[in-house]
Amino acid sequence: MNSGGIVQLQLWQFSLIYLLLIIVIAIMKKSGVEKTRLLVVASVKMTVQLVIAGLVLSYIFQNPNPVFVVVYLAVMIGFAVHRVLSGNPGLNRRFQIIIAASIALSGVFVLAYFVCAVVGENIFNPQYTIPLAGMLIGNTMTGISLGIKTFRESLQGQKARVEALLGFGASPHAILQPLAKQALETALLPTLNSMVGMGIVSLPGMMTGQILSGTMPTTAILYQIAVMIAICTVVTVASFGSLFLGMHTLYDQKHQIL
Amino acid sequence: MCLLHVSAGTEYQDLVRYPEINIRENSMTFITGPSGCGKSTLLRMLNATVLPTAGRIEYKGSPLGGLPVLDYRKQVLLAPQQVYLCEGNVADQFAFFYGARGEECVSRAEMVNALEICRMPLSPEDSCANLSGGERQRVFLSIYLSARPKVLLLDEPTAALDELTAREFLGNLKAACRQRGTTVVCVCHSRSLVDEFADEEIRLEARA
Repeated sequence: MNSGGIVQLQLWQFSLIYLLLIIVIAIMKKSGVEKTRLLVVASVKMTVQLVIAGLVLSYIFQNPNPVFVVVYLAVMIGFAVHRVLSGNPGLNRRFQIIIAASIALSGVFVLAYFVCAVVGENIFNPQYTIPLAGMLIGNTMTGISLGIKTFRESLQGQKARVEALLGFGASPHAILQPLAKQALETALLPTLNSMVGMGIVSLPGMMTGQILSGTMPTTAILYQIAVMIAICTVVTVASFGSLFLGMHTLYDQKHQIL
Repeated sequence: MCLLHVSAGTEYQDLVRYPEINIRENSMTFITGPSGCGKSTLLRMLNATVLPTAGRIEYKGSPLGGLPVLDYRKQVLLAPQQVYLCEGNVADQFAFFYGARGEECVSRAEMVNALEICRMPLSPEDSCANLSGGERQRVFLSIYLSARPKVLLLDEPTAALDELTAREFLGNLKAACRQRGTTVVCVCHSRSLVDEFADEEIRLEARA
């Protein structure tokens, strides 16, 4: 049962964890939260998706090939871009392209720096590149979604402010910039807050996983710190790019807000 | 002299179509007409916040499209219908608006002067938190007035004012603008106010 410091989960043991969901369903029923369907769908989707990811990753690790890594990264980035854009309908084409480029470029840049410069591994080594990319791009997706949503909502909610300042002769850039700045702050807050609480309130997932699978906690924390700084950088760069470059697509050379 | 000219058949996105309009320099012109006939859109086009999709608008004889837009807007200000004030006291409002233009705020004396013209006897240090709708509107308008523009476009500036205050406000505004050489173009729904204060009236027809 005990190999290399970790209890290998047997399938029957593992399936016991699903019993906890009965508690969740009971509470939902009791309090009238009608999300049992979603809970079931989410649990099934999560299980299937992770099983597939596990199988695909095992295959890639056993047959390392740069093409697999590139394809895996492209799918991840494509999915993240799709999620951000579908959660923010009605953005113009140029804005969408800027968001996609911000996620892809900042993600790949920080990933390459992390894997090549910090870890000193080949960027095509799937064991490092794929899990790190997952964490970086996943957090970027959440951050940008939040930032763009905030930006759009404040643009809608502050119509009177935009009109008043336009009529007063302020440039669209000067009018939109404070809104973009505020949205950037909102995008960064979850990451910064999680850094503040880290190690005290939460042992992050990656570190827990490493420790469970037998890594020394002292090694695990180094990776964790590095990952958090990398996440913070990608979220900042990608959100900044999306908001401050995307903002320019909202007005034209005649200073008309579109 | 004709300061602003809208050519006959000027349109905005097939929504509205305007007759020929001429606005005389240093006059107080009222724009009237039923709701939805394009009064606010006309003011926006005169301020170049929206551009006509057909026809053309001229300022001092040159088409708006050819002028540097931001410089033009600073001369031809539009105070929209919906009032916007930020947090803080009266002076903060002025600072916010001038700051957005990238300019230094006007002097305290200029603020007090503009507030007085708008019949709003507040000091710049007073808070804006507890002002009524009508008081907020007058603080808002006084910011635009303080910039001493060539043209002041006002979209229903008396909407939140009672009849008496509206009359005092328009009387003060007209006298001050005449003295400064500011042309006023004002959208207004009150027949009696239009009759009392209009040098010119432009009546727009309902949309076909």
